Amino acid sequence: MVKKIFSWLISPLGWISLLILALIVFSGIIWGINLTQITPEQPIEFPHDRHISFGIQCLYCHQGASRGPVAGLPTQTKCWGCHQQLGITKTSVLLKPLVQAIEKNEPIQWIPVATVPDFVKFNHRPHIAASLNCEACHGDLSKLTIYENPQILNMGWCLDCHVEKAGDDYEKLVKLTDCGTCHY
Amino acid sequence: MKPIDLNIIGAKGAIAEEAEGKWGMAIDEDLCTGCQACVAACAMENNISFVGEEDAAYGRTMHWIRIERFWEGEYPDVRTTSFQPMLCQQCGHAPCEPVCPVFATVHSQADELNLQVYNRCVGTRYCGNNCPYQVRAFNWRDYERPEPLNNQLNPDVTVRQRGVMEKCTFCIQRIHQAEDTAKSEGRELQDGEFDPACAQACPADAIVFGRVDDPDSKVSQLSRQKRGVKHLEDLATLPRITYLKES
Ligand code: HEC
Ligand code: HEC
Ligand code: HEC
Ligand code: HEC
Ligand code: HEC
Repeated sequence: MVKKIFSWLISPLGWISLLILALIVFSGIIWGINLTQITPEQPIEFPHDRHISFGIQCLYCHQGASRGPVAGLPTQTKCWGCHQQLGITKTSVLLKPLVQAIEKNEPIQWIPVATVPDFVKFNHRPHIAASLNCEACHGDLSKLTIYENPQILNMGWCLDCHVEKAGDDYEKLVKLTDCGTCHY
Repeated sequence: MKPIDLNIIGAKGAIAEEAEGKWGMAIDEDLCTGCQACVAACAMENNISFVGEEDAAYGRTMHWIRIERFWEGEYPDVRTTSFQPMLCQQCGHAPCEPVCPVFATVHSQADELNLQVYNRCVGTRYCGNNCPYQVRAFNWRDYERPEPLNNQLNPDVTVRQRGVMEKCTFCIQRIHQAEDTAKSEGRELQDGEFDPACAQACPADAIVFGRVDDPDSKVSQLSRQKRGVKHLEDLATLPRITYLKES
C-alpha cells in the first residue's frame, strides 16, 4: 500500500498534484498574512491631509496626547463645530455618516489602528514633554488620506529610540530600557 | 540568630549597596485585624482571576497577598499567632530570579523591584517552587469572568493568560502613574502621595508603603523600630518588607 502511494507520487501526475497542493497552502498563508495587514474600514473616510493643510493642530482633535497615556479620537461634536457651517457637509457622500451621528446623537465608532498589545504600557505624555513631534512616530500625515496601520510600533523600534535619546545619561538609560517601564 | 555576612554569599558591591532598596513596606501585625480587605482590593486592582471551588481545592488559588495565621504550642495548650499578611517581599537578592530559564522574572534596576514579564514567561514554574515565601501564583487555566465582571478589569494592568506565573508588583502601575504626574508638574514625588491597593484599602492602616532609601519617610521610620523583623532573613533574600510585632 505505502509502496503504491510512493510510486504514484514519483510519477509526473503525482508530483504535479503535490506541487499544486503546495502552491495552494503557500498562497493560503500569504492571503492570511495579507488579511492582518489591511487597514480596517473606518466609519467615515476621514482625510487627514486636507484637514491638516488648513493648519488644524493635531492636539485639537487628539487632546489627550499632551496630558496622558491616550491621545484619544475626536467625537462628532468636535467635527460638527466646523462642519455645521460648511456647505460641503450637506452635499458630500463622505460626510453622510457624520450627519447621521449628529441627528441620532450616537458616537462615531472609530477603529483604532495605531495600537500596541495589551501587555505594553505606552504613555504619550513623557514623549510629548520630551518635545518629540507626532511625526517622529506616526509619520507625515499631511500626505496621508486615511491613517494606515504603521507596522512599526514594535519593541526594537521603542528601544532604539530610547537608547539613542538616553545618550550618556546612565540613569536614564537604565530607566528607559527596564522591562518594568513598558511591561506590567 | 547571627546576622548574615553579605560577603559570604558573594553579595558584595552592587547587591550589598542595593540591600536598602527603593520601595518598601512596613506591616504592623499588632494592628492587623485579618479582615481581608487588602486581599479583595488587590484582586480588584490587579485583574486577578477567581479560580473557583474545584481548582482552589487543588491549591491553585491565586492571591498576590494572603493573610497567614499559625498555631503555636501543643494541644490542648494552643495559641494562634497574630495575623500576618504575606505578599511578595520584592527581595533584593531574590531566589526566584536566577532559576528562570528565559529571564522573565528579572530585577528592575530602575525601580528595584522583582518584575514578572508576562509576555516573556513560558510557565516552567521554577520561580514559584524556589520562592521561600510561596507568594507566586500560576495561571492553570484561562478563568472566565462572567458578565458584568469583565467591566471592572483595570486597563493599566495586563490580563494574564493561561500558563503564566504572576505575583505582587507593589502596584507598579500606581508607582508609574504617580511618578508621571509628579514629573508633569515638575516636582519630586512626595512620601505618602500614593499607596498600593492593599495599603489604601487597609482600615487599620497596618500597611505603610514608601521609599525605604529615604530616612525621613514614614516607612523608614517604622522599619527602624525595635519591633521590626524581616521574614526568613537568614536566607539572605534581603526582603523589602518589615513586619512589626511585639514579641
Ligand atoms: C480634524 C480632526 C483631526 C486632526 C486635526 C488630526 N486628526 Fe488624527 N484622527 C482624526 C480622526 C477622526 C481619526 C480616526 C479615523 C482614522 O483613523 O482615519 C484620526 C486618527 C489618527 C491616528 C490613528 C489612530 C488610530 O489608532 O486609529 C493617528 C496616529 C493620528 N490621527 C494622528 C494625528 C496627527 C499626528 C495629527 C497632526 C498632524 C492629526 N492626527 C490631526 C482626526 C484628526
Ligand atoms: C477646523 C474645521 C474642521 C474640523 C474640526 C473638521 N473638519 Fe472636516 N473639513 C473641513 C473643511 C473646511 C472641509 C472641506 C475641504 C474642502 O472643501 O476641500 C472638510 C472636509 C471633510 C471631509 C471631506 C468631504 C468630501 O466630500 O470631500 C470629510 C470626510 C471630513 N471633513 C470629515 C471630518 C470629520 C469626521 C471631522 C471630525 C473628526 C472633521 N471633518 C472635522 C473642516 C473641518
Ligand atoms: C514616541 C512615539 C509617539 C509620539 C511622539 C506620538 N505617538 Fe501617538 N501613538 C504612539 C503609539 C506607540 C501608539 C499606540 C498606543 C496604544 O496602543 O496604547 C499611539 C497611538 C496614538 C493614537 C491612537 C490611540 C490613542 O491613543 O488614542 C493617536 C490618535 C495618536 N497616537 C496621536 C498622536 C498625536 C496627535 C501625537 C502628537 C501630539 C502623537 N500621537 C505622538 C506613539 C507615539
Ligand atoms: C522617537 C523616540 C521614541 C520612541 C520611538 C519611543 N520612545 Fe518612549 N521615550 C522617549 C523619550 C525621549 C522619553 C522621555 C525620557 C525622559 O523622561 O526624559 C520616553 C519615555 C518613555 C516612557 C516613560 C519613562 C519614564 O520616565 O517613566 C515610557 C513608558 C515609554 N517611553 C514607552 C515607550 C514605548 C512603549 C514605546 C514604543 C511603543 C516608545 N516609548 C517609543 C522616546 C521614544
Ligand atoms: C520601551 C518599551 C519596552 C521595553 C523597555 C521592553 N519592551 Fe518588550 N515589548 C515592547 C513592545 C512595544 C512590544 C510589542 C511588540 C509587537 O507588538 O510586535 C514588546 C514585546 C515583547 C515581547 C514579545 C511578546 C509577544 O508575544 O510578541 C517580549 C517577550 C518582550 N517584549 C520582553 C521584554 C523584556 C524581557 C524586556 C526587558 C529586558 C522588555 N520586553 C522591555 C516594548 C518594550
